[in-house]
Amino acid sequence: MARTSPPQLEVISNPLVGHDHTKDGSPAFLLTRLEDWGRSNSVWPVMMGLACCAIEMMATSASSFDVARFGSELFRASPRQADLMIVSGRVSHKMVPVVLEIYEQMPNPKWVIAMGDCASCGGVFNNYAIVQGIDRVVPVDVYIPGCPPRPEALLDGIIKLQERIRKVHG
Amino acid sequence: MSPYSNAPAKSVAATVSPTLKINMGPQHPATHGVLRLELELDRETVIRCRPVIGYLHTGIEKTCESKTYVQALTLTDRLDYLNPLGNNLAFCLAVEALFQCEIPERAQIGRVLLAELTRIQSHLVCVGSGGMDLGVTSLFLYALSEREKILDLFESLTGQRMMTSFIRPGGLATDLPEEWLERTYALLESMPAQLDDIESMATHNPFFKQRTQGIGIVSAHDLMELAVTGPLLRAAGVAHDLRVTNPYSGYERFDVKVCTETAGDCYSRYKVRVAEMRHSIDLCKQAIERMPKGPVKTSDRKIMPPPKEELAQSMESLIHHFKLWTEGMKPPKGEAYVGVESPRGELGFYIVSDGSGKPQRVRERAPSFAAVQAMSKMMEGASVADAVAIIASVDPIMGEVDR
Amino acid sequence: MTVLERLTQMFPDAEHGTALDGKAFVYVSPEKLPAACRRVREELGFARFVDLTCADYPELEERFDVHVLLYSMTEHLWLRIKTRTAGTLPTLTGLFAAADWYERELWDLFGIAFEGHPDLQRILTPDDWAFHPLRRDEPLGSMPVDFTVTRELYDT
Repeated sequence: MARTSPPQLEVISNPLVGHDHTKDGSPAFLLTRLEDWGRSNSVWPVMMGLACCAIEMMATSASSFDVARFGSELFRASPRQADLMIVSGRVSHKMVPVVLEIYEQMPNPKWVIAMGDCASCGGVFNNYAIVQGIDRVVPVDVYIPGCPPRPEALLDGIIKLQERIRKVHG
Repeated sequence: MSPYSNAPAKSVAATVSPTLKINMGPQHPATHGVLRLELELDRETVIRCRPVIGYLHTGIEKTCESKTYVQALTLTDRLDYLNPLGNNLAFCLAVEALFQCEIPERAQIGRVLLAELTRIQSHLVCVGSGGMDLGVTSLFLYALSEREKILDLFESLTGQRMMTSFIRPGGLATDLPEEWLERTYALLESMPAQLDDIESMATHNPFFKQRTQGIGIVSAHDLMELAVTGPLLRAAGVAHDLRVTNPYSGYERFDVKVCTETAGDCYSRYKVRVAEMRHSIDLCKQAIERMPKGPVKTSDRKIMPPPKEELAQSMESLIHHFKLWTEGMKPPKGEAYVGVESPRGELGFYIVSDGSGKPQRVRERAPSFAAVQAMSKMMEGASVADAVAIIASVDPIMGEVDR
Repeated sequence: MTVLERLTQMFPDAEHGTALDGKAFVYVSPEKLPAACRRVREELGFARFVDLTCADYPELEERFDVHVLLYSMTEHLWLRIKTRTAGTLPTLTGLFAAADWYERELWDLFGIAFEGHPDLQRILTPDDWAFHPLRRDEPLGSMPVDFTVTRELYDT
């Protein structure tokens, strides 16, 4: 079954076509910057918990760490409403098609955080069952180390992702 | 016939196929891991439910066979990740059963304290996320912020919030500082009031009651047949708790009360868990009050390494230390199963030793495995919306279901 | 009378003993496993099924050391009924409803076939896998780690 690769990130809704939006100070440039800024501050993760890290992800969304401060508190049960996939935990070979399916249902632009050692590189489980890193399946933007990472580490990962999104158009 | 008549729309019923199969999961709105349910529906009613598991199969049992016993211990944390210290405890008890060794009293009471604290935080997540599944989001926030306080205690004691690996074969990793015990006691004093808050949002909440009362009822007989233990069985009226019937690790010194309900529905499971949290707070307090002075590691040098000071003076200690950290402990040939009462029921580790430094077989008897199997029984006749409530009330941890 | 003595009375010519954890066990032949479980359940009261699992010794001909762990709700004791097999056993699902998934798990991880099981399929590993990973002669398996995006791996 051949799957198409996701289309490249591009500004689809740019009303000022034809303007040079790489030039500082031009209205088009400001608009794309505004769009990136808006996107970066409302990153909605898809509600997908895999293993231990999912519990820390829940803790991050609760009041003590309060991910809402960074605009990411809306965990969407439907991947069609989300733009961030936090792969929280070890991914088994049986789970891979499911993760891929969820990723492909998310609308562009979309980002992936590999939360924890298992999602990043397999962690302590280098065996027959576990995929050594979710980057073998989906492109990863931010890796967060830890087993499991502290909620602060996840927040840091989200902030790093926000910085990255803000730099999409320079 | 008048278009406004109340006659049932027969033509619609005739064209709709009698049953509909829908797939729920592995990613689904209920926050309970990668459980997949294949539901067969007659309109809104579930006729059949077939749980599909294995999406988190990690091969931990196989991996343990290539590790030494202490290394394998760290993997047990990651089985039931809401009950890491309870898993450590069960694993250590099984290893100690192979060695037939005695554990100092301070370590035993310390283990009870840690296991009960873990039980409280596990039940808090269950109650909180169960509340969120049913739309009581504030319950989740209150429960999780209460849990953070316990995790802070774990972190200051062990250096890790969740995967502590603090209970080791032969005792505890380090001593429990007096100052930490005082902090724990102070937290336990404040906790009943917080639980009152949590209960005020759910126990007497009419909406919560409507969503949970009379939902997912299974008789005690069926639960016994399906090997289900823990809060699910106790909510159906069977007063079975391994802490009482087969006390381990010093529980025989405590007066453990078995919390039961009779209805066997989701609401009574919730009630059992809240009652257990309250009782665990008492047990923790008793443990701190009774905490004796003394060592927390067994003096058997074949299991626990000698203290650092001895290494400079005794050749024998040095050899023991070297052997332990290069080859690992070597239990005698044989097999052992020890069952403990985890927050989800009878958790047991079955370990077969061939006399070498690595186990021949490690097997976890997971309470959630049996509970998920019984889920198909609970779902029969429930509506689709109730399925979420039932999953929440079973509180399956897929890490230990799939291992 | 202890459990072991009663077991000895019930199965006089079987191998029996007490394991390191103090639980009595008795070895029965594979075809007698359901009957033995039924007798222990009905005559001794060990009615609660706890676990069904095995240990693997690939060097032996009857390599799987399978046991059923039962619990008595009145005496609060565990008991093992063990058997050795090369790969097939009669099912226990008629006796204990809970045995269903446990037998599927043994089939999946060790390749022990349970004759008469209603739905003997893989349970933990993917359906299309052909090997039984927990056998001792199966390698642990591993995969190299590289931090690159290789979508093609799963695209084909």
